[in-house]
Amino acid sequence: MNAREKRVAALWEKRPRNTFLERSLLAMGALILVVFLTSGFELGLSAKRLANFDRFLVDITPFPLQGKPFDFGVAWDWMVDLLQRGGFEAAISTLSISVVAIVLAMGLALLFTLPAARNFANPEPFVPGPNPPTAIELYPWRALVLATRSILILLRAIPEYVWAFLLLSVVGLNAWTAILALALHNAGILGRLTSELVENVDTETPSALRGLGANRRQITVFSLVPQSFTRLLLYFFYRWETCVREATVLGMLGIASLGFLIDDARVAIRYDEMFFLILVGGAIVVAGDLVSVVARRIARHA
Amino acid sequence: MAVDRPRRPAPVGARGGLVLAILIAFAWAVWQLELDFAALFPSGARLTILGDFFLGALTPDVSSLALSEMLRAVWNTVVFATAAMTLALLMGIVLGFLSSTAWWSEDGAAKGNTCVTCLRCTICPAVYVFARLFIALFRSIHELFWAVLFLVAMGVNPFSGVLAIAIPYGCTLAKIFSEMVDEAPRESATALRAAGASAMQVYCFGLVPRALPDITAYAFYRFECTLRSAAILGFFGFETLGYFIKGAFQDTDYGQTWTFLYALLALVIAADWWSGAFRRSFAQ
Repeated sequence: MNAREKRVAALWEKRPRNTFLERSLLAMGALILVVFLTSGFELGLSAKRLANFDRFLVDITPFPLQGKPFDFGVAWDWMVDLLQRGGFEAAISTLSISVVAIVLAMGLALLFTLPAARNFANPEPFVPGPNPPTAIELYPWRALVLATRSILILLRAIPEYVWAFLLLSVVGLNAWTAILALALHNAGILGRLTSELVENVDTETPSALRGLGANRRQITVFSLVPQSFTRLLLYFFYRWETCVREATVLGMLGIASLGFLIDDARVAIRYDEMFFLILVGGAIVVAGDLVSVVARRIARHA
Repeated sequence: MAVDRPRRPAPVGARGGLVLAILIAFAWAVWQLELDFAALFPSGARLTILGDFFLGALTPDVSSLALSEMLRAVWNTVVFATAAMTLALLMGIVLGFLSSTAWWSEDGAAKGNTCVTCLRCTICPAVYVFARLFIALFRSIHELFWAVLFLVAMGVNPFSGVLAIAIPYGCTLAKIFSEMVDEAPRESATALRAAGASAMQVYCFGLVPRALPDITAYAFYRFECTLRSAAILGFFGFETLGYFIKGAFQDTDYGQTWTFLYALLALVIAADWWSGAFRRSFAQ
């Protein structure tokens, strides 16, 4: 081994290593291996599956066109008819549900933002006092932070669909079930994101205000809100996108949105209508994404 | 000499306009849905259900039968999520490569023979546009809709469930992977190109390694999401956590419902912690 190779070997020995990362990747690899060795998933495409799939492709072509050459006029009339028979209305109510839900989610999240931010919810926000706080001053704030954070974790750990299922028997079969389900889950996520905004805020202004004797309300109004408003809007629209996506499926529990029509068509074995309505759902999601991209660009350059 | 006056901000800036638009949309949506605010306050039988349900939170079913079912449900959820994530990762890598521009665009400095240049100007952009449209379309359809489609096409077998999650997740991964590579820091790529490397070599050794930490961290975050999706698939007949939550709740056995809900909470929080720790370990 010449000097150069030795030097390279020494550098290799001293390379920065991250044991947590290596172990995580190793654990992931092991998990994948165990899953595929023990569960016996049939990932291949057997002849029966292919036959089923062929039958399915026929089932999802529009009914007036099944077994006939494709005619765009007929397909168009069939589509317009489906949209007029409730497809369009369901698409509108899906969007409405997502809008009401995300506004409620943001409102709910903002109630949790400040008590969940460690740098704000403490005896001396932003500027340490002359003496360290006593236990009696400190622990109520600690408890507040812990309590709000636990609530936020609970809210976001339960998926929208499970919330909707549970709420169904409490709120009943109406749009509120979908709205509350989306609002609760997203409040958990937005609450965490917005409290992180406060924790990562540029501390110059709030510290200066605090030094001048401002109270918590004044710091919030004159520093925290103006400083993080743009990011707040970005998060709002980012979560709205996922709200639109989830709102399309919540209907499958029986609430009047697109998912309801889709499940209805499935139960009635009208797979052509089901497939078309699923595509409508995709179109709504794409439309929501576009609106959100434009809105976020406006917010970012404001 | 004219002194620049400080410019007065517009009374309603772009951000104010956005807030106004949101409020108008909100009012319109409330009107459109004909929301009945009285329905928000449960009464009678529904209030009893609410009370019983929260009592169940304090008294979860910890009998050995319920616990063994819970363990089975958790394991099934993990199995579904892992299998789906593996497929999604494969899809994401292949489609992410196809829908990235960095391996064929030469930033206007195309060298080499005319045949390769010709390919680069026609086929590669076509592949790129096609891959982008493909992932946008397949991503926009929710995994539960995919599940419904595959249930109809293939019946309840694990394969339909895994595929239903893998397709939209794979396309999301493809989108994020390609954007991360295309937006990776370019210093090493520029150096490699100056040394005469081809676009493909620059892609493999200059860009992908720079984006790899972000890509791995994002993949871990998506694994957390697959766990949630896999749990929900249970509502459609696959034996994951959702299946047991649905069953216990419909039997009005709220104690047992909470056993499974707590399991779901623990699973999601553990995954959240893992992916969070993973990201933080990169940030160091």
